[in-house]
Amino acid sequence: MNKCMELDLQEMLPDLLHRTLDSAARARVEAHVAECASCTEELKVLRTVASAAVFAPTIDVDRIVGHIAPYRPIAPVVQAPARSRVVSWLVAASMLVVIAGGGSLLMVQQRQPGARVAPTAVASHQVSTSSQSVAVKPPVTSVPVTRTLDQPIHTLALAPGVDGLSDGDLRQLMNDMDSFDALPTVEPEPVLSVDTGDNLDQGL
Amino acid sequence: MTPSPEIRPPTDTELIERWKAGDTRAATQLVGRHSQALARFAASSGEREGIEELVQDTFVRAFASLDSFRGESSLRTWLFTIERRLMLDRRRAERRSRETVPDEESDHVSEYGALDSLIAEEAQERVRRSLEALSPTQRDVFTLRVQQGLSYKEIAEILGTTEGAARVHYHNAIQTVKEFLRDE
Repeated sequence: MNKCMELDLQEMLPDLLHRTLDSAARARVEAHVAECASCTEELKVLRTVASAAVFAPTIDVDRIVGHIAPYRPIAPVVQAPARSRVVSWLVAASMLVVIAGGGSLLMVQQRQPGARVAPTAVASHQVSTSSQSVAVKPPVTSVPVTRTLDQPIHTLALAPGVDGLSDGDLRQLMNDMDSFDALPTVEPEPVLSVDTGDNLDQGL
Repeated sequence: MTPSPEIRPPTDTELIERWKAGDTRAATQLVGRHSQALARFAASSGEREGIEELVQDTFVRAFASLDSFRGESSLRTWLFTIERRLMLDRRRAERRSRETVPDEESDHVSEYGALDSLIAEEAQERVRRSLEALSPTQRDVFTLRVQQGLSYKEIAEILGTTEGAARVHYHNAIQTVKEFLRDE
């Protein structure tokens, strides 16, 4: 038997069987079936299969309805207003900025020698203020340094940025440098070579 | 004299609303409207026993969750979907019990014989056997299309597949059934 070439019409055979086609489509399909042996056979098969379905048991409707519980509307679940995704992202982003900012600030502070100098500066401060205990040094006549740790310390020029010091600070710095006793006060004694007699054999 | 307004049967949606409002007769109408189709589908899908219980379970579940029925498909399509899931659950449970208790095979055969006696005409017996030659999915597609008259879209919704896949299954099924009936 030749295959049907009008597949779109052949597909509508179950709809023709159940009378769910509109009048125009139904007329088209019926006209096609009248000419197509394949579709005629298929429609016959479909009719047979459809009629074979009558053997399902008869259902007792009242019995089923008796088992159906009365309607109870589902109570809407009250939920706390969930934080929207945008807000969550904003919170996460701001936390990230804070962490990154704090981290980079710490790194910058660690890289700046001035930050490490703080103890030295304090030490120098102590030196300058306790200079009276050092006998060799004259009393410092400069302005007494009364700084706290959170103030910028320019006592020593170990940190870069001398350009930023004021005239007063520079004078103070110079005075402090004058008062250092790091340099030896006396000339070193000349070193004399000692003949150990190792060269005597060579001379002989 | 004015013509009397045409009396049309209430739609499924209207009946659902009435049932929600406390009208139990609406439930009776809904069950009466769809129960036989569900029974036919179950029988065509190869269910041999407990079809009435299956249909009952389908309705009990459906009415318990009617609030989740959004009306995007027809009520019957939704009922078929529930029934098919129940059938799959049943088959899985049967498979498990058959693995653990192999002696039940003899009971199965006797139920099979009971159905055989139910089918009187030879042609219908042939149809039943031709349907058994199909894969479960092909059988579901074929019976939903031929016996229930559903569209491919509705079938795809029930089976959780695509319209294209449903078409392919139907095409393969009709070829198998035709060949089976021709050879018999």
